[in-house]
Amino acid sequence: MSGPEPRYSAWSLLRARLAGDGYWRPLWTGRKLRDAYDVVVVGAGGHGLATAFHLARDHGIKRVAVLEKRLVGYGNVGRNTTIVRSNYLLPENHYFYEDSLRRWETLSRDLNYNVMYSPRGVVDLALSDDDMSGAARRGNAMRLAGIDAELLDLAALERFCPELEPRRERRFPIVGALLQRRGGTVRHDAVAWGYARAASALGVDIIEDCEVTGVRTAAGTASGVETNRGYVRADRILFATAGHTGMIGTMLGVPLPIETHLLQAMVSEPIKPLLHTVLVYVFPGHGETYITQSDRGGLVMGGHLDGFPSYTREGRWDRLEEVVEGAVELLPQIGAVKILRQWAGTNDMTMDGSPIVDRLRYDNVFVNAGWCYGGFKTIPASGAACASLVATGTTPDLIRGFRLSRFATGHLLDERGGGPFPVRL
Amino acid sequence: MTRLVCPFCGPRHLREFEFHKTVAAADAGAFARVYERVASTELSVEHWQHVGGCRGWLEVRRNPSTGDVLEIHLVGGGGEA
Repeated sequence: MSGPEPRYSAWSLLRARLAGDGYWRPLWTGRKLRDAYDVVVVGAGGHGLATAFHLARDHGIKRVAVLEKRLVGYGNVGRNTTIVRSNYLLPENHYFYEDSLRRWETLSRDLNYNVMYSPRGVVDLALSDDDMSGAARRGNAMRLAGIDAELLDLAALERFCPELEPRRERRFPIVGALLQRRGGTVRHDAVAWGYARAASALGVDIIEDCEVTGVRTAAGTASGVETNRGYVRADRILFATAGHTGMIGTMLGVPLPIETHLLQAMVSEPIKPLLHTVLVYVFPGHGETYITQSDRGGLVMGGHLDGFPSYTREGRWDRLEEVVEGAVELLPQIGAVKILRQWAGTNDMTMDGSPIVDRLRYDNVFVNAGWCYGGFKTIPASGAACASLVATGTTPDLIRGFRLSRFATGHLLDERGGGPFPVRL
Repeated sequence: MTRLVCPFCGPRHLREFEFHKTVAAADAGAFARVYERVASTELSVEHWQHVGGCRGWLEVRRNPSTGDVLEIHLVGGGGEA
């Protein structure tokens, strides 16, 4: 079937029903790789696709290609635990993450694709008075910036999340929580598919199985990329290769303040609705568990990083045990539920825990990287801001703090206050 | 990768060890030593500490794409088990 991409609506569903087989077409079509582009985006993950979409829609850049080594959405956009939130302490972070959260709220309409944003709340549990002080400080910082945050005492937490039974006797008793009601979950694969479909409809070429192997330069600027399908000329190049940005630095001869660690996630067999919110539980001395229930019923869980550089995409076993132990301590009623699947993504961890969106070595080469474990939730804001940087050459105020030079000048965004190491348990 | 072989203590569970950072080049300056990391998908040369054992500092050579440990020795040499 040819003709314009059908716009999804109740009417298009009805028409599809009447038309029978063959009405729906692929979300993005197999385009041919051209010789030259205005912008080549490397990496068809969330950030790359979102940036390509905004380049085409907001900046009218006609010739944009997204080159992907494997498949659209193969990397972290399809491997995360789907949580979105903006409960950060530092202004540079919370304004940016809040911009993202606002975009999540309307993204399904903007893309004409249901990404299933579910504002089910994100609950950061506090296990001590110290935790409560920290939660109050972070919540107050958020509220001063106009972001919703509520400090919950035990009674309020019990009202919000009775399934947690906060007063139950535990090894680490719960004393309260910080709640962000507008936080929640988004269907992660739909984000990749929705952006790919919308970008493709605007004329962006999405080329899968196309690995970039080098950058060709002339007179101090980049002139194009070498790929396994030949040379492609490009006026501007953006690397959005989460999980492999360190290697991009190696390729360009720029060592980066990035270590690549694995972050695991796992999902249980589907069970009836049990947990209606997102619980984040950092328990003293030995780990972290965050847990949410997917729309299909599986309990999706994650925890700390594996703790050393790795590209294997296989998580370490003892970390899985820790995460599950935490989940069972939190919700003892799930003790008999079985784990169905476990997987890992490669996370580019920066030395202050905050991202890098900047030029890289050449005036026309850009990098969108170092999202640590917060990459998924930032996709809409990152796409818009990064497209603005690439299109205009000027850094938008929203991402001014994410410049690479901050490590040399001392303007770190050390949200965790942990020093120049991505992991300290 | 579920265990490392400590030159003093022998094979021990991975959870006894703590990764520190990749080893900087010999001529690296102070900024590079603190903030920059050496990225490689084939050979990663790293400092680890056996925090749950002898507390010795180890230089570990690994392939981060497969998880294979190629070589472990004490930083500064000596003390082979």
